[in-house]
Amino acid sequence: MKSQQIPIYFGLILLAFSLALISCAKKSYDTVTSELMPLADSPLVGFRILLKVGSAHDPQGKEGIGALTFRMLVSGGSQNLTFKEITEKFYPMAAGIGMRMDKEMSVFTGTVHQDNLETYYAILKDMLLNPGFREEDFIRLKTNHLNYLEKTLVGNMDEQLGKEILNLAMYADHPYGHTEYGTVESVKNLTLDDIKAYYASIFLQGNVIIGLVGGYPADFPTRILADFSALPEGHTPSLVLPELHMPHGLEFVIAEKQSPATAISMGFPVALSRADDDFFALWIAGSHFGEHRQHLSWLFQKIREERGQNYGDYAYIEHFIQGRGKFPATNYCRQQQYFSIWIRPLANSNRHFALRQAFRELKLLVEEGIPEERFKLTQQYLINYTRLYAQTLGERLGWKMDSRYYGYDDFLAEAQKRIPQITHEQVNTAIKKYLNFENMYVAVITQDAQDFKDALIANTPSSISYANPNMPEEILHEDLIYQEFPLDVRPENVRIAPADAFFQNKGVPADTR
Amino acid sequence: MSKIPFLLLVFGMLVLTPAALSSSDIFPYEYKVEELENGLRIVSIPLENPHIISFYTIIRTGSRNEIEPGKSGFAHFFEHMMFKGTKTVPREAYDDYLTRLGAGTNGYTSDDLTVYFTVFAGRENLEEVVRTESDRFINIYYDEEMLKTEAPVIEGEYYASVSSPARRINELLRQTAFEKHSYKHSTLGYLEDIQDLPNQFEYSQLFRKRFYAPDNTILLVVGDFDHDELLAHVRTHYGDWERSNYTLVTPEEPPQTQAKRSHFDWPSATLPRLAIGFHGPAFSDEQIDLAALDLLSEIAFSNRSALYQKLVIEEQKCLSFYASFSDHRDPYLLTFNAVVKKEEDLPYVEEEIFKAIEQVKNELLADDILADVRSNLKYSFGSALGTTDGVAGMLASFLSLTGDPATLNKVFRLYEQVTPQIMLEMAQRFLRKTNSTVVTLSGGKAQ
Repeated sequence: MKSQQIPIYFGLILLAFSLALISCAKKSYDTVTSELMPLADSPLVGFRILLKVGSAHDPQGKEGIGALTFRMLVSGGSQNLTFKEITEKFYPMAAGIGMRMDKEMSVFTGTVHQDNLETYYAILKDMLLNPGFREEDFIRLKTNHLNYLEKTLVGNMDEQLGKEILNLAMYADHPYGHTEYGTVESVKNLTLDDIKAYYASIFLQGNVIIGLVGGYPADFPTRILADFSALPEGHTPSLVLPELHMPHGLEFVIAEKQSPATAISMGFPVALSRADDDFFALWIAGSHFGEHRQHLSWLFQKIREERGQNYGDYAYIEHFIQGRGKFPATNYCRQQQYFSIWIRPLANSNRHFALRQAFRELKLLVEEGIPEERFKLTQQYLINYTRLYAQTLGERLGWKMDSRYYGYDDFLAEAQKRIPQITHEQVNTAIKKYLNFENMYVAVITQDAQDFKDALIANTPSSISYANPNMPEEILHEDLIYQEFPLDVRPENVRIAPADAFFQNKGVPADTR
Repeated sequence: MSKIPFLLLVFGMLVLTPAALSSSDIFPYEYKVEELENGLRIVSIPLENPHIISFYTIIRTGSRNEIEPGKSGFAHFFEHMMFKGTKTVPREAYDDYLTRLGAGTNGYTSDDLTVYFTVFAGRENLEEVVRTESDRFINIYYDEEMLKTEAPVIEGEYYASVSSPARRINELLRQTAFEKHSYKHSTLGYLEDIQDLPNQFEYSQLFRKRFYAPDNTILLVVGDFDHDELLAHVRTHYGDWERSNYTLVTPEEPPQTQAKRSHFDWPSATLPRLAIGFHGPAFSDEQIDLAALDLLSEIAFSNRSALYQKLVIEEQKCLSFYASFSDHRDPYLLTFNAVVKKEEDLPYVEEEIFKAIEQVKNELLADDILADVRSNLKYSFGSALGTTDGVAGMLASFLSLTGDPATLNKVFRLYEQVTPQIMLEMAQRFLRKTNSTVVTLSGGKAQ
């Protein structure tokens, strides 16, 4: 008897366990979840309410709808309060709600003193869960979106323009392939009803992670979770992205405008993210070659320090947004990543030379790897530098949330453990595996675009002149190599369009030549 | 709750050393001020913050010090040269040292100050930082060729923002409003002066002698270290630095007697912009003038003001609007800035701003709004202090103005004394039409 009962009980326990698992699975997918970091000593409370929806979820033809919807939440009124009333109420607390959007996630942020927590939260909740969707707010924010696309982005910020055009080129026919602001055409067609419908379709419990950090009361998370449980259950399925689209050779997109300076951004997709073991090895390579705004950057040394050509030159092995100081901002996690090089604006006369320099240095990196001493230096650097990343409440919580996304409990702690274990050989192997210098999307903002195209195709030598008449011999010698460095640019791979033709519609505008 | 614990709580993340502060202090940390015989001042704020130390060197020199013609942008350029190393620690070795340290490092220059900072983990590294930084400031070495190589980087920095109309209108406002004072030019300087930097080797040596000296420098150290240990290192490594004894006399700006205007045609697409400046008072932690104007600007021109709500939210004529009455050592400008959506609305927006200005000159502002503003300032201040860098950055700007960390507390005490009547008087004294400069910028037209 006993011998028969045991399997039955065991089976029942298994069944119950399986049901519990199913229930958990349902819970984590369709109901609101949280990331909590209580710090009893802190008088401040930080919010990061993350939505697993980004610009890549914008429906076809409605590009920009996500960003406009979320701006309606944070820069428009709620059902109970106009935006003016919200501004007045937030003012004495010196508080507000920020919003940042990336391709696959968006985050609503705020920090408030404990004194004001209840008042602040009541407004925040009202703004996110009971949006006012007033016509006047819609007109204001839609106009702002259009102004950004038609005037600011194409006219007033060439470095950002270069990065956005690289994105257009790299992600053609891909959900990542438009700026969060959408296109002039798509935004013009958006109606307030579109916004309301979109909000209803994506503000689902399972899309929301409530991030809380600081000195909040013990019962506070339960209350927030209960409040956000008023949203419909459900979730937006994770995006199934197309295969990475590698460039065939050097594919140029040139945005033409009158300017004394040329801005360059270039890159290609890489099948690697923080979740992969190889990431740590490639991280050392990327840091050596182009650590963001640090003297360590090899490109910075060659282009700026040795030759004084521009303000800085960097490289990245994943999408990078600068946060506080020069550290990476958080909550920009993506399924697909890309490698990129950012050459900051330089005199038009040096554009060809600097481009050749970047390519030659990348070729050397790919073919020869990192010198041993640079490997050791960069490894030591990253161990220390990453200890500075998570300092503020928001940063600590943001890194924690990003850790979860990539399957870690604490990514920065993992980095402290893993980076010292990486070998020189692993770095050089990762470079060969993931980086290349022959296939690259190159975005250029410059004037006299046809001349540049002709020079690129003909591989016209591009000499450089210096104010210093006594430049070191080794630099001048290296210049002779740079100025002749061949780039395999084919005429059909260079597209030129006026800067203000971009972002009118999806993708890269037709070549007008 | 008494005020001291309250304020300590406001900034509590880093507060582990309750200080003997007076009840009217806004700055919640205990600090120590020391001065070496050569005039070098050291402000230290030890905090039990895990591992991190922010080491700031503040040179009380900025573009204000560029008093000779043709030298605009020089303070900023010299900041670049300060990364070129010394004979004992050349540039490459200096870069390697920073890299091994994994430090966050940089410098910045503004009108009144130049700041160099090194943020690093591990108190065991403090002595090396003090030693290396002292060597850099006392023994900075570069030759004419190095200077000629670095000079075009500034042109590159100029190019990095050449597409920004915000920068251009700010330059135009200064150029138009000032006649004599060195605030006439921006920190980056005029392009023609930037292009002449390769020829300024000799002047750079003079500039260094005048301003890169202990009697013009403050070390500000915040974070995980022991004060006595810091001081011992500083005495050892900075003690031999020689004084400059140079006294800067900035050109006096004559009073403006009639309204001025200027316009710039931006060569490509952009939203039109409007900036209005009035000559205002110099920063002071004793006179109430600028403190009163600060509060006035919050009440009448911040995003909670009636004017902002009208122009930006209700009528939607502007993309943005803000007032900035920034702190400067010499009298600077009280500015109003608007990004306007349509060019034809530029005159209307200008008129509305002047109407609002007339109102604050003629009507007393309400007391309850003043309470809101004081609350906002208190909580804004607190939220800026979440890191060692936040504390150091905040204090650095006040130290540059007076050299005294007590200034910060004094200013907040002045805020407490401001009344609607005082704000009205300050508005009448400074916001006069004849004291105004209006500049506009609009786009799409070739020059």
